[in-house]
Amino acid sequence: MEKSRELTFESPTFFQRIKSMLGVDFYRLFHTPLFYIFLAIAAIIPAMLIAMTGMPGPNGEPSTPLFTNVWQAIAANTPIYGFEGIDKYANLNMVFIFGGIMVSIFIGHDYKSGYVKQLFTTHAKKEDYMISKSLTCAFAMACMCITYLFGAIVAGAITQTSFSVNAGNLICAILGKIFMSLGWASLYTFLNIIFRRYFGISIASSFFFGTGVLVIGIGSIAGNTPMLNVFLYGSSVYACLSANFINVLVCLIVSVAWAGIYNVLGTYILSKSDVY
Amino acid sequence: MNAIEIKNLTKNFGEKQALKGLNMTVPAGSIYGFIGENGSGKSTTEKIICGLLHPTSGDVKIFGKPLTDAETRAKIGVLIESPGCFPNMTVWNNLMLQAANLGLENPEEEIRKMLKLVRMEGAAGNKYKNCSLGMKQRIGIAMALLGSPELLVLDEPINGLDADGMRIMREVLVDVTKHGATVIVSSHILGELEKVATHYGIVRGGKMIKEMTAEELDASCRTYVALQASDMYKTKNVLCREYTRVEEDESGFLRVYDVEKPENIVTYLYKNGIVVTEIKTAKIGLEEYYIDLMKETGAK
Repeated sequence: MEKSRELTFESPTFFQRIKSMLGVDFYRLFHTPLFYIFLAIAAIIPAMLIAMTGMPGPNGEPSTPLFTNVWQAIAANTPIYGFEGIDKYANLNMVFIFGGIMVSIFIGHDYKSGYVKQLFTTHAKKEDYMISKSLTCAFAMACMCITYLFGAIVAGAITQTSFSVNAGNLICAILGKIFMSLGWASLYTFLNIIFRRYFGISIASSFFFGTGVLVIGIGSIAGNTPMLNVFLYGSSVYACLSANFINVLVCLIVSVAWAGIYNVLGTYILSKSDVY
Repeated sequence: MNAIEIKNLTKNFGEKQALKGLNMTVPAGSIYGFIGENGSGKSTTEKIICGLLHPTSGDVKIFGKPLTDAETRAKIGVLIESPGCFPNMTVWNNLMLQAANLGLENPEEEIRKMLKLVRMEGAAGNKYKNCSLGMKQRIGIAMALLGSPELLVLDEPINGLDADGMRIMREVLVDVTKHGATVIVSSHILGELEKVATHYGIVRGGKMIKEMTAEELDASCRTYVALQASDMYKTKNVLCREYTRVEEDESGFLRVYDVEKPENIVTYLYKNGIVVTEIKTAKIGLEEYYIDLMKETGAK
């Protein structure tokens, strides 16, 4: 039954491989409710923080709003690595906590549904999977940062909270945090390829790292040292309302560096492990 | 050229050895029926071929290239265990995902073609989770066929299919091999497999115990005479005195194996006062051949 047909195989280039993998991930991102739910969550968080803390108490007494300025919901005035109160902690960085949950569900379903078998059959190079997931999830988190921003603006406008800020510093802070999405997304992708279909554990571990509890702990002991900027949470804090071009550059470098590290580690683990 | 060449393949899962030096040769353009009991190593072998499991040792070549070769791997279509679809997405969107994965240039047209092939045109908008088991299998087959793969690896593809589904499956398999593709198909429904397979590999305990072509199977299948007589109990006793292997089959016939001349049986029984009411000659099928082989290897 042997056929005399000559078989020819085209070698897919790196960009062809990544393009097809990104095609899968972005198609899935836009065609499932998960992404839109988390965009909504990201918009609701600042709205709740700004609007609800400014509401009068049950007996009509005026309450103390968490923020006196809308942009404090985006970033602290200065980088504070330790914990100095919820008003300094609760800002755009929270997107990276919720983003971790989204990434865990997104990647976990690859394994739970069994679709990962199709991906790894077609894509022999495991780095394709890591790179594509990191980029897609970074995009999703960047979008969450933007809806968070809109949520804060709308809530601030409704509650008539102050909007005064140095626009340049604000843009640098926002850009810095958006750039950090790549590093965080790579960390969560890495955690998810360890725990795979057990996305309950992935969510717990993502939450643990996302809260920055390790850096906060070190910051509380060692003080506000810029050395902590080498960590993802440290750089995320560094993108504050006094940020300038240097802060943005630090965020970009740290984010890309960690993304590289997590991608290399993730690729190594994937290439050494079986897919079930 | 061989589509797959496997030499001394082993795979350990901790202490358990799933494959124990398995050898396998799948000629290009063949439909290779991969047969074995549950836990014999069929799925493990198929997953290794698809790059999902890493072999502990041994050599696996696909179209003469190593398993890690990106070019050949991109041309493998697969249906292993379940189709691997997202339950909350529609059938269409699941197929679109696979089209994107394969980097197809004209995905809509390809998907429509595949849905028509597996008679699922009307279900494209259904959510995958709402599909029946048979429909899910058809979707899995459509998914595996997208992008015209050179090698199709199908693990139990006819599970859950109705008679029409099985017929479609047979047509699809024959059709893809007409275009030069190679198919490895494992199934416990041997009667169906026998209708399409051109080559067979029988695996047991992680080892290949027999590889053969359909012609070789046909040649090695024993012939038998099936008969019905007036007194079946007496007939069996009488036949057992003369012939080494006499068995009763599910349809109430007595089967007498390795008979050179069927008319001799009729004469022999007549001399013993038994009248034969019905008699026919036949060959054992793949299923019986497999059962016999399992008995033999089990005894060894």
